[in-house]
Amino acid sequence: MCDACGCHAPTHGHNHQHGHDHAHDHDHQHEPRPNGNDSLIVDINRSLFAANDALARSNREHFDTDGIVVLNLISSPGSGKTTLLEHTIDRLGSEIRIGVIEGDIETERDAERIRAKGVPAVQLTTGGACHLDAAMIHRGFHQLQREPGGDQLDLLVIENVGNLVCPATFSLGEHQRIVLVSVPEGPDKPAKYPKAFTSSQVFLITKTDLLPYFDFPIEEATREALSLNPALQVMALSAKTGDGFEAWINYLRSLVKSNQERTARA
Amino acid sequence: MHEISLVQNLLEQLRDLAHQNNAQRILRVKMVIGPLSGVVIDSFTFGFDILTKQEQLFDQATLEISIPKVVFRCVRCGHEMETDGQRPSGCLACSEPILMPEGGDDLILQQVELE
Repeated sequence: MCDACGCHAPTHGHNHQHGHDHAHDHDHQHEPRPNGNDSLIVDINRSLFAANDALARSNREHFDTDGIVVLNLISSPGSGKTTLLEHTIDRLGSEIRIGVIEGDIETERDAERIRAKGVPAVQLTTGGACHLDAAMIHRGFHQLQREPGGDQLDLLVIENVGNLVCPATFSLGEHQRIVLVSVPEGPDKPAKYPKAFTSSQVFLITKTDLLPYFDFPIEEATREALSLNPALQVMALSAKTGDGFEAWINYLRSLVKSNQERTARA
Repeated sequence: MHEISLVQNLLEQLRDLAHQNNAQRILRVKMVIGPLSGVVIDSFTFGFDILTKQEQLFDQATLEISIPKVVFRCVRCGHEMETDGQRPSGCLACSEPILMPEGGDDLILQQVELE
């Protein structure tokens, strides 16, 4: 049971299978069995991702009950996640109620940038951890709900810690995972960091205003990403010039609209 | 280095297991780490070595890791290629670039020996 809200967040995943051929309670004790050195061998066969996955499912139920679409933005540091969000809020803030959870190792800076746009934002500082996990999002979401306007959202954007590796392994309960690569980073990121691309629904190429100065064949990057994950939706944009931004905005609008229709039917 | 978080999660499960079984020592931990799990085995082993040194329950614990193969299946002709985790650049039978992996993304605590 969650302390903040009384919701039924699993604190210890009990949805696993025991490796024994008999059922028992968790406080049951085995007698040591003679196998040469008085040791006991226990078969477990349980995923180490199971605890996070259970919490992520609980987050997802929360988001669905509240009718909120949730995005998880994953990229290297400096690929333009916060700038993308600032421009997105400028374009959509008057028609869609947006909230933001910022993940960084240190500082409140990104949340301050978002709050300056008049949108509720919570900063999670991981204190060294290289990714957000479902438990942090659970706490962060409750914190956001206590911010002015944070309890009435259509769209929650989670900006993960800048890192193309570790965040890909941890589900947060999001509806859509979006992997960003900026033009200066180069087109080889899908091939080098496949998990971020195989686990995402959208591949967003940012800073396209820099294409004249860098060797970034968009077609090649797109082809490589699609060979890893044929279902990826690929978009390219520049927040600075607004080039390609319309497709991104329309994508967000249609996500929110179909979620509202689904919630209304339910 | 999310591997450290995952090792911490593992040790938490092992403490519970030791408690449930009235065990004083964890002797052996068998894991399956898939090549596509997003877990770097050297980092995981490093985290295990560092974190287990700090606690008597684990001071004799050894870590055994098995790494399963991955099968990449061609979406066009169904040809299967088994690798250590590397993605072939295309189908060896028909050159199709889109190959879907099967398995290899697990991180499983398989078996524990304790006393």
